[in-house]
Amino acid sequence: MPAITQYVFNGVVTGGILALPAVAFSLTWRLLRFPNFAVSTYLTVGAYAALALNVGLRASLELAWVGAVVVTAVTALAVDRIAFRPMRGRRPFSLAIASIGVAFVLENVVRFVWGNDFRSYDVPVTRAMLIAGLRVGREQLLIFAVAIALMALAQTFLVRTRLGIAMRATADNAGLAAVKGVPTERVVAAATLGGGALAGGAGVFLGLDASIDPLMGGSVIISVFAAAILGGIGSGPGAFVGALIVGIVEEVGTLVVPPTYKTAIGFVIILAVLLVRPTGLAGARS
Amino acid sequence: MFAYLTAVATLVGVRSLLTLGLNVQWGLTGLVNLGVIAFFGVGAYTSALLAVGGTSILLAWPAAVGVAAAAGAALAMVALRLREDYLAIVTLGFAEVLRLFLLNETWLTRGANGVTGIPRPLHTVFAGRYDIFYLGLVLLAVVLAYGALERLRRSPFGRVLRAIREDEIVAAVAGKPVFRFKVQAFALGAGIAGLAGALFAHYLAYVEPNMFLPQESLFVWLALILGGSGNNRGALVGSAVLLGLLEGTRFAKDVVPFLTGVRLAAAQQILVGVVLVVLMVRRPEGLIPEKTESN
Repeated sequence: MPAITQYVFNGVVTGGILALPAVAFSLTWRLLRFPNFAVSTYLTVGAYAALALNVGLRASLELAWVGAVVVTAVTALAVDRIAFRPMRGRRPFSLAIASIGVAFVLENVVRFVWGNDFRSYDVPVTRAMLIAGLRVGREQLLIFAVAIALMALAQTFLVRTRLGIAMRATADNAGLAAVKGVPTERVVAAATLGGGALAGGAGVFLGLDASIDPLMGGSVIISVFAAAILGGIGSGPGAFVGALIVGIVEEVGTLVVPPTYKTAIGFVIILAVLLVRPTGLAGARS
Repeated sequence: MFAYLTAVATLVGVRSLLTLGLNVQWGLTGLVNLGVIAFFGVGAYTSALLAVGGTSILLAWPAAVGVAAAAGAALAMVALRLREDYLAIVTLGFAEVLRLFLLNETWLTRGANGVTGIPRPLHTVFAGRYDIFYLGLVLLAVVLAYGALERLRRSPFGRVLRAIREDEIVAAVAGKPVFRFKVQAFALGAGIAGLAGALFAHYLAYVEPNMFLPQESLFVWLALILGGSGNNRGALVGSAVLLGLLEGTRFAKDVVPFLTGVRLAAAQQILVGVVLVVLMVRRPEGLIPEKTESN
């Protein structure tokens, strides 16, 4: 039996992947005031976009990853324009229901084209390295490094750039920001593109780390929600830390409960956070 | 063809009950439940396991209602204190956890193999015409539930629920114990969903965990919103239209050559998703909007 450190390591890598959609989900929830259930389906969209480029068009996986990021970002923007924009200002739950409808459509478009089979990318099989008793895949290291870099990039964008600051202002108080001259719709478009890009990129990682099938996004939805809620809705760094914790707890938790109950662990985390500290780790404001 | 129509009508009846249950929660009281299918599943499994174990259906069906309602009350006590966007996530998660439970607790639920040989009530008496008998039974349940819920809607209890939906602070100021009413409404809706589940299980004589995928809740929501949430007639119409939509497109496979089973299912679900989004954007009040209380 592998040491517990192995589980922790795997959890950290999974957490790194989860962090990307969790940040997207958390920030757009704060900005648009509704939980977008389609975010986890953007992972599926990204994974299959890369599959089409990598296996279909024989592009390298690096190139396919970039393509997937672009395709998913554009998809997210299109979804916002078609479905969410006409509903701005409506009750959050109405938007949440619409977003579930969107998730359903996207998942089944993927299923219609590619079917239900499990698929994988056309990449050379590499042997895992042994570092201090840990089995470490090269892909895992790469995934985690890129995930960290993207997180740092997103945070820098939010804190340092004009658009990022405008985004935080709108998330804080949309009315006040608009009065101060922040172009709300442009901010929303930028956040949607960015969120779609993060989720799409994460989808390729998930496909590489696990497998590719139409349900892959749906299967991490609870974990992504758990990460965002644990981190505190609206906090990027919170969602990142939340994702790492959720990833680790889910992996290590399989030592205690059967692995088939992994999703239930995320659910318990959600319940516990909401009942004990609804504002999450970062939470000053609810 | 007649047998087919009977089967479809039976399923419309079961779905109508389920939608009526959700209408008590969301339509009447404004309580979010994205895990409505879980209570359907609890009812189906409770009745199926009891009946297979030898319990009379006269006990098994009420037990299905009771256990589903109790599960609803339990979830409501924990979750109804949350804001509704969080509640959406928690109820969805509940449905997923229940499915995992059904899949994994083989000692109780028989796991992925499902429960087979669920007895069909009075099967020997109505041999030959059984499907028609069962359709009658389901329709009777729908009529009774509809009548009871219409009365409830107009009763003082129902008025409080609608008041909570419109503005729970006002309801609280008027001295109504809002939380208790919410829990009761949630449990009642869950109980009706449980009855639908029991009828479903004994109709098919077989249940398995994947009949209760979280996404199935979406179909119930679509039926409710399509018909017009808040009014019971809408719940019936929406269920019929939705099943008509699903069954009608089933025949597309015979006409369109490249349509495989997987593709057809995917196309149907795309249709469901598109209809839901278009409804939410364009006509959130549904086909039959609820009459407001200005009269």
